[in-house]
Amino acid sequence: MSRLRARYGAGPAHLLVLVASFAIAGAAVVGWVQRPRDLEGVLIWFAAAVALHDFVLLPLYSLLDRITVARLPVRSAAYVRVPAIISGLLMLVLFPTILGFGAHREQAASGIAEHGYLLRWLLLTAALFLVSAFAYALGPIRRRT
Amino acid sequence: MPRIRLPLPDPEKPPPGPFRPEFWRSPLRSPQLTAMLGLVLLIGLPAVALTGLLSNDAYQPGLGGNALGRDVHGPLDFYLFGWPTGPSWLYAFTQGAHVIIGLAVFPVVLAKLWSVIPRLFEWPPVRSPAHALERLSLALLVGSALFEFVTGILNIQYWYAFPFDFTQAHYYGAWVFIGALLAHIPLKLPTMRRSLALRKAVLDGAGPLASPAVDAHARPLTSPNPGPTTLTRRGLLTAVGGASLILVLQGVGQSVGGPLRSLAFLLPRGRTRPGPLGFPVNKTWIGTGLHRGAVGVKWRLTVRGQRTVVFTREQLLALPQHTYDLPIACVEGWSTTQSWTGVRVQDLAALAGASGRMMLTTVSLEQGTYGSATLGHEQVSDPETLLALRVNGLDLPLDHGYPARIISPAIPGVHCTKWVSEMQFQTVEA
Repeated sequence: MSRLRARYGAGPAHLLVLVASFAIAGAAVVGWVQRPRDLEGVLIWFAAAVALHDFVLLPLYSLLDRITVARLPVRSAAYVRVPAIISGLLMLVLFPTILGFGAHREQAASGIAEHGYLLRWLLLTAALFLVSAFAYALGPIRRRT
Repeated sequence: MPRIRLPLPDPEKPPPGPFRPEFWRSPLRSPQLTAMLGLVLLIGLPAVALTGLLSNDAYQPGLGGNALGRDVHGPLDFYLFGWPTGPSWLYAFTQGAHVIIGLAVFPVVLAKLWSVIPRLFEWPPVRSPAHALERLSLALLVGSALFEFVTGILNIQYWYAFPFDFTQAHYYGAWVFIGALLAHIPLKLPTMRRSLALRKAVLDGAGPLASPAVDAHARPLTSPNPGPTTLTRRGLLTAVGGASLILVLQGVGQSVGGPLRSLAFLLPRGRTRPGPLGFPVNKTWIGTGLHRGAVGVKWRLTVRGQRTVVFTREQLLALPQHTYDLPIACVEGWSTTQSWTGVRVQDLAALAGASGRMMLTTVSLEQGTYGSATLGHEQVSDPETLLALRVNGLDLPLDHGYPARIISPAIPGVHCTKWVSEMQFQTVEA
């Protein structure tokens, strides 16, 4: 047992749990290769998504933060960050709807041609910044009491 | 036997950049923040996984062509039980929960990943075989989690931006995720509990705010070189919680429907067409590309059991009619409950001389995906399973499946075949 610990670097339970986990993943791959082209598509798509994040999105949002929020006074930066994070997360999750990527399929499915999502997101973003501005204005008062 | 020593990199001399602890400057990262986010995910992620598996069960992939080409004899292609028919809102509930909880926890997942990202650049990259296996398992966990969330979130918005079959990818991807999560929870639970206990001790005034390392070997998440605090922990949690809350409202709106439907103002299912027949539809008549003549006076329904019987729509209307309030519940997390009138499927079985324990395959005039679906004996034997001819007191409109459609309690909406042309009853062994 102590030899396992010395060689492996952890106890037998650690090894057991991980082996079981890899066995489940292996079983999923066995199911998946019933359609080899599908698995190939998944791997290509996944690699493309990682590259898109690491080489395009990450530099973009880091740069955006550097040139805007990071230049603000420390006290007010949070009041810009919080609404910006909420608005950004909503765009990240809902961009296919907001920017109309699925609109054609959606209309064939639901029979409704819906527009105006971008305007709604902009209004929501404006409302979030407004609430944050109020909180900022009220902040010093609350701290005094 | 001499001990084999691997030529390990010097743990004291990490290369410049993210491998050095002082590279990471956010004062927000700490074991406590990670543990708090982890606690939310410890509850949320199993709930999403479980409701997802229930949805696979509700589709009854073992019957007929329900698996959509997936070979259901793989090691993970089991389903646990025949899907029950009551309560009628069962699938609307489990699938609504799957989508709503999934939307709610996605911002938390991203925050959790942000909180531990310095660990991605650990130095040395591998300390022991145990450490190597654990990092491999983490790669599977993070990769499969992001894969599942992204494919699910795109699917509910009708943007099929992937070169693979969604149902199969989302199902097997889920198993990779479940397997990795089952390892991650027991391995990290002690760390989470220690971090939370430490936070409590700090809050109780028992110690300084500086967080000692809770994981003996690993580098602490707390930055040794923190920048100014431009966002407090409360601020971060407000941002993440705020985004979650707005996303939950989207999911609740499309799932509960009725007066709450307009809450889903940023999702495709936030609006319906006006009138008693304007409730949401999954595939429009125009979307099928069928000709009007196919559902005109020449339309016939063929019912196959011990014998084959052919009906016109008038003959079906002359049979005993029954009315039930039943939901259509879509895998995308939206649902709508309406009042359906039609002939009991049981009655049609009897007319075709079929009896006993039966499953039913329904065939649509429309031969796309889900152009055919098979119901299990639970559905066939339920008196509320109808071949519906009318809805809300009016003839079915074309978009809702005129001349006749299947409606059955608690099954996925796409199994409620529209524009039905044929019904095949087959006996199943008990």
